[in-house]
Amino acid sequence: MIISSALVFGLLISALILVAAGVSASDLFNEFVLYTLFDGQSLRAVLFQAAPLIVLGLAGALAFRARFWNLGLEGQMIWGAIAATAVSLFEIGPPSLRLVLMFIAAIIGGLMWALVPVLLKLHLKVNEIISTLMLNYIAVNFLLFLLYGSWKDPRDSFPYSPQFKSFERLPNIFDGVNLAIPIALVIALLVLWFTRISRAGLYLRFVDSSPGVAAAVGVPVQRVILLTVLFSGALAGLAGFMVSAGQEERLTHSFYLGYGFSGILIAFLARNQPIAATVVAVLVATLFVGGRSLQVYYQIPFSMVQLIQAILVICVASSDFFIRYRIRRIQSEA
Amino acid sequence: MSLKNALQLDRVSKSFDGFKALSDASFTARWGEVHALLGENGAGKSSLMNIAAGLYAPEAGALFIDDNPVRLTGPRDAMRQGIGMVHQHFKLVSPFTVAQNILLSMNQSALRGFYDHKLAKVSQAISQKSEELGFGIDPRTRTDRLSVAEQQRVEILKVLLAGAKILILDEPTAVLTDDESNRLLTTVKALATRGAAVILVTHKMHDVMRYADQVTIMRGGKTVATLAPQSVDLSKLVKLTVGDTDSARSVSEPHIRGAARLVITDLSSAQTTTQASNGVLRGVNLTLHSGEIYGIAGVGGNGQTELANALMGFGAPTCGDMLLDGQTQLQSLTPTERRAQGIAAIPADRYGAALAAPLSVADNYAMGQIHSGRYGSFGWLNSRKIAADTTKAIEAFDVQGVRSIHQKAALLSGGNAQKLVIAREFNHPPAIVFAHSPSRGLDVRAMGAIHARLHAARAAGAAVLLISEDLDEVLALADRIGVMSSGRIVVEFNQPADRQAIGQAMVHHV
Repeated sequence: MIISSALVFGLLISALILVAAGVSASDLFNEFVLYTLFDGQSLRAVLFQAAPLIVLGLAGALAFRARFWNLGLEGQMIWGAIAATAVSLFEIGPPSLRLVLMFIAAIIGGLMWALVPVLLKLHLKVNEIISTLMLNYIAVNFLLFLLYGSWKDPRDSFPYSPQFKSFERLPNIFDGVNLAIPIALVIALLVLWFTRISRAGLYLRFVDSSPGVAAAVGVPVQRVILLTVLFSGALAGLAGFMVSAGQEERLTHSFYLGYGFSGILIAFLARNQPIAATVVAVLVATLFVGGRSLQVYYQIPFSMVQLIQAILVICVASSDFFIRYRIRRIQSEA
Repeated sequence: MSLKNALQLDRVSKSFDGFKALSDASFTARWGEVHALLGENGAGKSSLMNIAAGLYAPEAGALFIDDNPVRLTGPRDAMRQGIGMVHQHFKLVSPFTVAQNILLSMNQSALRGFYDHKLAKVSQAISQKSEELGFGIDPRTRTDRLSVAEQQRVEILKVLLAGAKILILDEPTAVLTDDESNRLLTTVKALATRGAAVILVTHKMHDVMRYADQVTIMRGGKTVATLAPQSVDLSKLVKLTVGDTDSARSVSEPHIRGAARLVITDLSSAQTTTQASNGVLRGVNLTLHSGEIYGIAGVGGNGQTELANALMGFGAPTCGDMLLDGQTQLQSLTPTERRAQGIAAIPADRYGAALAAPLSVADNYAMGQIHSGRYGSFGWLNSRKIAADTTKAIEAFDVQGVRSIHQKAALLSGGNAQKLVIAREFNHPPAIVFAHSPSRGLDVRAMGAIHARLHAARAAGAAVLLISEDLDEVLALADRIGVMSSGRIVVEFNQPADRQAIGQAMVHHV
């Protein structure tokens, strides 16, 4: 309740900034509310955009619940996409199984990139905030190395990989909406099961609330953290697959931009709750889609979308005070 | 004797989440006297004093200082009015020195000059005050190098140097030995004689009878009586505190000692620890039999915590043997495997090692049997069964204050939190029980319930190891008593043991 008022407040501030930037209030309403929610095509665009964001939000929420500040969603996502592209590029497996193999490769790619910082943390107590963040740079530069080097599409000089063949793309389930959305929803259910229904969920609650108590009462703390962080990395890798095989249909040099940060933001806004993360991801997707049309029609830079995201985060973070405390006026006597 | 009123709370009420912690509680402390506030756990003593210290705002009622009405906006404001509170859990920043800690709590703008200058000034004031009170505190010592009793002295210096004239001490003797308590209370009494008003929050009758000039008794959020303790006898005081129900003090029955279950030989802390010299193990030897309660007595900080941690499976690594039934090394078992062996652990630090405060009562209870598969396989948690078991256990172990099993464990009072720990640990009759200060901070009734559980475990053939700094508790429960000093068991006594002799052993082997 308080969080939603904070969100509304943040959206109001954002609207004011957009109006100040030259978008008229009625246009704003048209772009964001009317077009995106009541226009079928835009709604499909939102869902299309929401799928990887849902998965990334869940990835962030999982890691944060294990008290592991995984700021490396971006790097894990890149590795997921690289692994999936490798399967396509080297034509591993028969065409009928190709997409499934790409899916699995992406999961393994993201998982491996999360394995490094989590092992460093568990065995050598290396701060994961630093290690995950730094590993992002390695992932980005390795991606550029591939795309400017041997993986470049020979047909032109753009830093793109060759386009995926039709059976290497996520198929449409109906016009404009591909398989990514149902996959994202299944993942959301999976995370819900993991955190609420499985025994690991109980362990994770203990690790989240008090690692000392968890260890003392017999929670296998190290294994729980390892498992959860690998799950998180695997989901980030999967998101990389969704963007490359579902949206870009090739590996590009900039496909990851904005996603890593958004995943962290969605997890934060949703207070690491899986259902809430799904809803917030759709909201952020609306912002992405609306932001792109603002860019096209009003020459508003896309960084405005990130600005709005930041405003929302600050508003929700400040609302923490109102969640913990109740404000009441006390009538002074005489 | 006509003493002037220092602090007066008039018909104060306060509720938390609809639970009325205080209803129309009135309390008056006067200048120059030690005023005890006596009551069971959850009687409202701490709530009342937190209002006096500006931590909580009352819902109704008024506060007077020197007969003038005041409204406190927070602890800083209370401090400005001369009210200082020493909390049960100390609030010191551990790697800082005594002087840094005290400087941190002071109103910085009142002191002029640079940091070094301020620190020197404060250090001087600390040395002076410490000498005056006979505290023996060096302002340059790091606070984590101090014993509990010394940390408490630092807390007292902190409020006195900030100018407190009304001193509130919340359960100050809960963590102290007999000697340390007497020393502290004598000092406190001297402060009152010199004109301060001292409020002593406690549930120890003994302290009240010996040191208080006045006592106010609280029960169920109400103040039921104020009187001079010298004018009544102990039984009257007990009756006022606990109400009409009699507080059953456990009595030892004769028993038969069984086979040796756990043999500890030459248990020592591994050499890597850089801790202060008194807090380590230096070759502990003892044998624990089934069907007995072995009590470990001693002055705090002589290795009891390290021993308890080693037994319960957390803390620094140790060397030496802890042989279970002559075959298994206890060190090699994880907490889960220990549980499977029928080992129940009741750690001293309830919210640091036993209960996850932000989690629900049911979650905390479920951890006890989660590994056995009773609550479903890995993929599925049988929450209905957990709920049923928790409800049953709460009833069987008389855990009160649980409005829903989904409420946070943090909302339970100390006694009920401890009962929840025992409910979980004893859900199967345990074979071995390790209990570290199991009744610390608990009232008479809760303590009685805990003791009864330990007795019942012994009667059922369990081997019980009780580590406690409360000599009365050890004497009341244990069949054999080992005195711990400087990291080893220096002497063992069989019951009936001589209290004086044990006390001597505790002090003289240091």
